[in-house]
Amino acid sequence: MNSETTSRLSLQIMDGIAVLTLDNAERPINLVDDAFLTELESAIGQLSTCGAKGLVILSAKAKVFLAGADLHSLGSLRGEALSAMITRGQQVFESIARLRLPTVAAIHGACLGGGLELALACRQRIASDSHSTKIGFPETQLGLLPAWGGSTRLPRLLGLPKALSLILSGKQLDAGGAKHVGLIDEIVPKERLLERAIALIQGRSSQRKTHFWTNNPLVAALIRQSSQRQLLAKTHGHYPALLTALDVVSRAGMSPQASTAASFERERNAFLELVEGDTTHQLIRLFFLQEDAKSRRYDEGVDIRSLPPTRSAAVIGAGVMGSGIAQFTAARGIPVLLADIDAARVAQGMKSVARLFDEAVRRHIFTPHEAERKRDLVAPTADPVSLRGCDLVIEAAVENLEVKKKIFADLCVRSSDRTVLATNTSALPITELAKSDGITHPERILGIHFFNPVSRMKLVEIVVTELTSPETVERALAFVRALGKTPVVVKDSPGFLVNRILMPYLVEAARLVESGVSVARIDQAMLDFGMPMGPLRLLDEIGLDVAGHVASTMTAAFGERFAIPALLDQLTSEGKIGRKSGSGFYDYDHRRETPRVFQCNQDQPGLDHIARQLADCMSHEAQLCLDEKIVADADSIDLAMVLGTGYAPFRGGPMKYQSILSERTAT
Amino acid sequence: MSTSAERSFVIVDGVRTPFLKMGSDFATIDAVEQGRVVIQTLLSRTGIDPEIVDEVIFGCVSQPADAANIARVIALRAGLPQSIPAMTVHRNCASGLEALTTASDRHAAGHGEVFIVGGTENMSRIPLFFPLAAAAKFAALSRAKTAGGRAAAAIRFRPSDFAPVVGLKLGLTDPVSGMNMGETAELVARDYGISREEQDLFALSSHRKSTAGRAELAKEIIPVYLPNTSQGYVDKDNGVRENQTIEALARLRPVFEPKTGTVTAGNSSQITDGAVALLAMDEKRAESLGLEPLGRLVDYAYSGCDPRRMGLGPAFAIRKLHQRTGLRPEEADLIEINEAFAAQVLAVLKLLKSEDFSGLAIPEDRLNLLGGAIALGHPVGATGARLVLTVLKQLQSSGKKRALISLCIGGGQGGAAWLERL
Repeated sequence: MNSETTSRLSLQIMDGIAVLTLDNAERPINLVDDAFLTELESAIGQLSTCGAKGLVILSAKAKVFLAGADLHSLGSLRGEALSAMITRGQQVFESIARLRLPTVAAIHGACLGGGLELALACRQRIASDSHSTKIGFPETQLGLLPAWGGSTRLPRLLGLPKALSLILSGKQLDAGGAKHVGLIDEIVPKERLLERAIALIQGRSSQRKTHFWTNNPLVAALIRQSSQRQLLAKTHGHYPALLTALDVVSRAGMSPQASTAASFERERNAFLELVEGDTTHQLIRLFFLQEDAKSRRYDEGVDIRSLPPTRSAAVIGAGVMGSGIAQFTAARGIPVLLADIDAARVAQGMKSVARLFDEAVRRHIFTPHEAERKRDLVAPTADPVSLRGCDLVIEAAVENLEVKKKIFADLCVRSSDRTVLATNTSALPITELAKSDGITHPERILGIHFFNPVSRMKLVEIVVTELTSPETVERALAFVRALGKTPVVVKDSPGFLVNRILMPYLVEAARLVESGVSVARIDQAMLDFGMPMGPLRLLDEIGLDVAGHVASTMTAAFGERFAIPALLDQLTSEGKIGRKSGSGFYDYDHRRETPRVFQCNQDQPGLDHIARQLADCMSHEAQLCLDEKIVADADSIDLAMVLGTGYAPFRGGPMKYQSILSERTAT
Repeated sequence: MSTSAERSFVIVDGVRTPFLKMGSDFATIDAVEQGRVVIQTLLSRTGIDPEIVDEVIFGCVSQPADAANIARVIALRAGLPQSIPAMTVHRNCASGLEALTTASDRHAAGHGEVFIVGGTENMSRIPLFFPLAAAAKFAALSRAKTAGGRAAAAIRFRPSDFAPVVGLKLGLTDPVSGMNMGETAELVARDYGISREEQDLFALSSHRKSTAGRAELAKEIIPVYLPNTSQGYVDKDNGVRENQTIEALARLRPVFEPKTGTVTAGNSSQITDGAVALLAMDEKRAESLGLEPLGRLVDYAYSGCDPRRMGLGPAFAIRKLHQRTGLRPEEADLIEINEAFAAQVLAVLKLLKSEDFSGLAIPEDRLNLLGGAIALGHPVGATGARLVLTVLKQLQSSGKKRALISLCIGGGQGGAAWLERL
């Protein structure tokens, strides 16, 4: 046996078959960077001299095959250097594709972006059945496209429709999904990957599909046209990478005979153009912020290894939020008690839990069997049972401070002194709660504020009072991360962060209606701006009663900019409180919503003007939050608003939006 | 005997599902889910750390085909750690009691201190079987390789091959004597001269006592959450007929001997789904955990008898237990004899008044105060544990001291146990 070890990978010859093991000696994961390409190139070069009969590529890492390009190193490159790096990757992968011997990628763990491009350059792919196996092209989510041959090879392997769906959605498939679309040939237990790859090399290779019916110029053009229409409707043209990727991938798929070199050229040019765009900058920045939020410490002084993990939790209150939190906690494998004051309420909560698990099965997140086992983890109770065994309790009862004070005094009796006691309130003062009668150990009280719907919203606000201990905050952070959510630590203050920034914007939108701007125009302006939903439609969704209540609390704290316009009061008193009542700023019947017409001026302001005015409300409030040190930094605000409200990601968030605007004004 | 102070075995708490008639709300779940719910609730109500449990022992008569060793399946799904072993016990209608007495023996032998015991039965879901001849033909069909072979195998089926064998009926038939349980009840009714009217009156009384005892019974019952039902949960036994009349009972036709018999659906136990779980442990362990037990298991006995007269089992078991403990039924504040059939209970009462059983007569004013299986139902694997739970909760409510429970067991056995408050 002959062996060559370097810092990114190693090549061994076993029974005449070359086994290339990806194993970055310096990091826990494998990434594509300059050194990786250099070593890969030299390893491929050796193959011809050693007379190998085949090549297997696999990884020695526990959870990663090859996680794509190293964005940090790629981000440091500009112009020519970046162009050269793209070309180099294309060439090295192409040299693997051109090997005159059978090649198999044996995938276990994350095989993303550049990792998948390497796997696509192999003739066959097999993958482990492990949960950590994830295969996909996340590039478009960062405003880029696969440019190391991926946009060219994928449509040829899968056919145009499937390739487009993978690339444009950025979806990451598990082994089952990858096998289903034809991305991999077989699913094998992790321990048998190498054995099976070698057997495949020794066996006969099968014929590839040509995808004649989709990958021909006529059909490809039709597919491209209809995809383009859908994309424009969905993104309002704000995400150029999607349109560019659509173009490059469709053209690669149009004629399988077309020269690969020309398609590579298109990939590279598209990439170099996209990487310069503002959108891409913002998306990559948000990606890094999110990565940072996954591990960011609240207090470096706390020894987090000594803190107890949350092995069991309890949720008090089985309403929409309570059952949503309980379901999500169970879905992530943590046993959770779902408590309410009587069986009827608990039953409603258990119905929601069941519905959410059914939905997860429909969306292929869980198999029916997995969903059933996870559902077992939710223990319903209408009795005031002991919570001494619970590491963390989240209260999600009615939004009434006096009620919550009673609940917390009772929780203090029923739980142990070490139990973290959290409230999911979205507006009530947690410091006052922590200081109320009957509270023991107020240092373990804080807010863990989930957004609705819990299963979809990635952001969780960790609300810290002046009494909360750093250990409690770190334990809450660890819990939220264990759920796979992104936590942002905020100071206890009315509305916390996200709702506080959102509220003046919603109030202002209602004021615009009052001043004679049409409902449809206001919402259109913000959809064009890139918000996922117009502000008035959002008000209807929240409920005008709820919004009015929150706004008046905040007016008391911060003054007139939160004062609700008379129109809102009027609608509320008419019982037109939004979607739940069938009418608000819109009329709802069946599945249609029609904007209602209020008093409208003849001249309507321009869409840009409206958007600017409303976006300014958010940016202004965001700046005040930063000044008041509600949150650690401007980046956290941007991340929170994007994840918590869907604030147009390509704009980077309300702080970034403002700073870009002021830069422009300055120049 | 396990009465020695050192090794006293106590029942700390217990819960049960409502008992629901076959084909009602529990037909949508199964014995595993029922068992999972009672253990999960027992754990959350008592607040004990699951790690301290030494073993889970559950009774189940008709174990679902997809849950071999159902106790293990239930234990894992209820959230008990993988390291805690679980076993299923089977003594027919006494399986729920067997779970407790097996745990008590384990404890006495020094094999563990803390046990979760109980029983679960879902009679709605007992499967139908294909006849053996049909099974052979299915096997031949699946072995056939060619289309011709498959066709040849397929045409050998006859309509009778598709007539299912009812699993429930098989389970309720004693294979040794070949008699159905109802037929054994008819036999003791004839032997002991128990009239139809006596049986119907006994049944009526059972329904009346269960109706009056709703509030007391509610203390044993936990709500079971069923997201697919409109109310979303069940927390009441649904077999109790609050307006049962003697006339209505008299109108029912005998099931097992249509022309001459006396045993009807009305004076027999109901076929029912349900589960019970008890937390049982060493007395000193309970004390050190700060738990206040409901009571202790004083002693128990099982005894065999004629399978064709299995309903007489309690008399023999009570006598055997008397020989072990010296305790007589008259010393009990409460007595439960499971109501498999009114005829069988009435025959046991007669037998215990006879010379052979001198001094063991049952004081009938203390018998089955909350009714019994005729009103509540008889989920066979769970009933034994229900009797324990029912008497312990009643002792707690009434502040009384001692209880005797007993049941007849298909196949010709009886079981009995003494329980007392500490």
